Amino acid sequence: MKQYRITVNGKSYDVTVEELGVAKNAPAGSTVQASAAAPAPSAAPAAPVQPAAPANGGSIITVKAPMPGTVLSFKVIVGQQVKRGDVLLLLEAMKMENEIVAPQDGTVVALRIPASASVNTGDPLVDLA
Amino acid sequence: MEKKLKELEERRAKVLAGGGPKRVAAQHEKGKMTARERIEMLLDPGTFMELDAFVEHRATQLGMDKIDAPGEGVVTGYGLVNGRNVCVFAQDFTVIGGSLGEMHAAKICKVMDLAVKIGCPLVGINDSGGARIQEGVDALSGYGEIFYRNTLASGVIPQISVIMGPCAGGAVYSPALTDFVFMTEGTSNMFITGPQVIKAVTGEEVSAEDLGGARVHSEVSGVSHFSFPDEQSTIEAIRKLLSYLPQNNVEDPPVMDIGDDPNRTDDALADLMPDSPNKPYDVRDIITRIVDSADFFEVQPDYAKNIVTGFARLAGRSVGIIANQPKHLAGVLDINASDKATRFIRFCDSFNMPLLTLTDTAGYLPGVGQEHGGVIRHGAKLLYAYSEASVPKLTVILRKAYGGAYIAMCSRHLGADQVFAWPTAEIAVMGPEGAANIIFKKEIEESADPATMRKDKIEEYKRSFANPYMAAARGYVDDVIEPSHTRMRLCNALNTLLGKRQSTPSRKHGNIPV
Repeated sequence: MKQYRITVNGKSYDVTVEELGVAKNAPAGSTVQASAAAPAPSAAPAAPVQPAAPANGGSIITVKAPMPGTVLSFKVIVGQQVKRGDVLLLLEAMKMENEIVAPQDGTVVALRIPASASVNTGDPLVDLA
Repeated sequence: MEKKLKELEERRAKVLAGGGPKRVAAQHEKGKMTARERIEMLLDPGTFMELDAFVEHRATQLGMDKIDAPGEGVVTGYGLVNGRNVCVFAQDFTVIGGSLGEMHAAKICKVMDLAVKIGCPLVGINDSGGARIQEGVDALSGYGEIFYRNTLASGVIPQISVIMGPCAGGAVYSPALTDFVFMTEGTSNMFITGPQVIKAVTGEEVSAEDLGGARVHSEVSGVSHFSFPDEQSTIEAIRKLLSYLPQNNVEDPPVMDIGDDPNRTDDALADLMPDSPNKPYDVRDIITRIVDSADFFEVQPDYAKNIVTGFARLAGRSVGIIANQPKHLAGVLDINASDKATRFIRFCDSFNMPLLTLTDTAGYLPGVGQEHGGVIRHGAKLLYAYSEASVPKLTVILRKAYGGAYIAMCSRHLGADQVFAWPTAEIAVMGPEGAANIIFKKEIEESADPATMRKDKIEEYKRSFANPYMAAARGYVDDVIEPSHTRMRLCNALNTLLGKRQSTPSRKHGNIPV
C-alpha cells in the first residue's frame, strides 16, 4: 500500500494505491485499483495513478459503457494522447464489434477494466484527462 | 413634400441604427452580427422588404414611457432565398436586449400570419434577454400568441428557428415547437431555468454553456438539430436546408437536377459491406454513394448517432433518409433514436418528402435504463410515424433486420411501397445464436458434444433463416438486388411512386404516443 497526494485542477486528492500483481488478473500496463479519499463531494471518481499528467488542464472524463458487452481489446495505452473521435477500445455488444471513441481530446489516464471483462451499461471504461 | 420626405428619412435612419453604434459594436465584439446583418446574409442580396419598422411599444409603467426602442427590438419582413419567398424575423439584441414585449410579439405574429397566408417558410432568429418584465402579462401574452401560431403553422409551412444569443425561459418553447433549431457555437444558449436559478434552488453549479450551449443541445438533449462554429456557416446551412424543402404542405419539394445519372451503378457498394456480420461500417458511406452527387445533408448528426437522418436527392427529387448506423452502438434502436427518427419522419410526411429507409440494426437496446425510461412508449412513436406516413416509402434492408426492429424500420407491414434487400440481408425473428439456443435446446443438451451440435444448429439456422429469401418468398421483400444496382432501383421506384395517393379514415387527428 502506498499513499499518494495528487493535485488535479487545483484540488488535491489523497490516494491509496495497492499493487495487485499479475496473479490477481491485472494485465500489465493496465490500471491499478485506486480508492480515492475525495475531500469534496464534487470530486472526480478516481484519481490517476499513472505518471500521465492532464494535458488540457481539465477535469477527468470517464468514458462509460453505452451498453452491456465484453471488452475485446483496448486500442490505447495509458499516457497516450487522443483526439476526439479516436477509437479507445472495441466493445462486443449486440453481436457487433463496437468502437468506443473519445468524446473529446485528451490523455488516457487509466484503463478502468481489464481486456475481456464483461461490462454493464454505465460501467467506467477509460479515464481521460 | 421635401420636409415630409426628410422626416421619413430621419425616422427610418433611427430604426435602421437599432440600439446605436455603441451597442452594435458590443454585439460585434461578441462575434455576433446585428439582426439586420443576419437577415441580409440569409436572403438573396437586395430582396429584403421590411414590415412594421415604425412599430412602437405603448408601455408606460416602470419607466417604459421614457424608453425609446427603435423597431421594438425585432426586425421582420420577407425576401427571397435561392429565388423563393421566405418570411423572417430577427430579434435585435442591441434594442433593450431584444426583450419581448407586447408590440415586439405583435410584429412577430404578423409576419408569421403572413407566412401561413402566402405559404412560405418562416425563419426566426432568436437573440433576446427574454420577456420585457416592465410589460408584465402583456409580454406573457406575446409568447402565448407566438406558441399558438407556431402550432397552427406546424405541418403547413416549414418553420426554422435560429438561436444566435440567449434564449431562456418561455422563449425556448417557440423554437421547440418549430421544425428545425439551428444554434451557433459559443454565443447561443437555451434553457428553461438559467444557471443562477439552478444554483439557488438545487445548489448545482453549471455554466450557461454547459447547461444549454450548442454542444449540449446538439449532442445530449437533442433540442437542436444543427450547430455550427459561427453565424456565417449557420446561415449558409439554413439556405442549404431550404433548398430541399417545398414552400408549404400542398407543394411538392423542388426538383433539382444536379447532374447525376439515375441509372449509375456502383460496384464499390458491395465492398462497403463487411464480410463478417459483426463488423461495423459507416452507413453514411453507403448513403453518399447512392444519392445524387454524394450530397447528403445530415439532420441531428451528433444526437442519437445510432440512427442517421437527413436529406438528399434521388434523380433530382428530395428524399428524407433514415438509416441505422452500425458504426455507433451497433445501430440499435433506443429511446433517443426512436424520438429522433420519428420527428424527422413526421416532418417529411408533412411536406410531401418521400422516405428512404436503410435497415441494419442489431435490434432494441437491452437494459433497465431503457425499459424504465419508457422505450416501449418511445419506440411506439417510430411505428406510428412510419405507419402514418403517406408519402412514397422505400426501404432497403442492407443486413440485420431482426424481430421488432425489422418491423419498425419501415417494413412492408407498416406500409412500405417498395422493399428491397441486399443478398447480405438477414430477416428473421432473432439472430442465429439466440434462435439456435432456443429452438434446438433439447438437441444441444442431449448431444454427446453440445458445443459442436450448437455450432451445427447455428449454421443450420443461418442457412434456413438468416437471409432475405424467406421474406422474399412471402412477398414482404419485393426484390433481392445487387448492391451495385441500389441507386438505379431506388430512382426507378421513386419515379413510379410519384403518383401515390392514399386515403385514410377521416379523423380529427391521431393520438401518437408521446
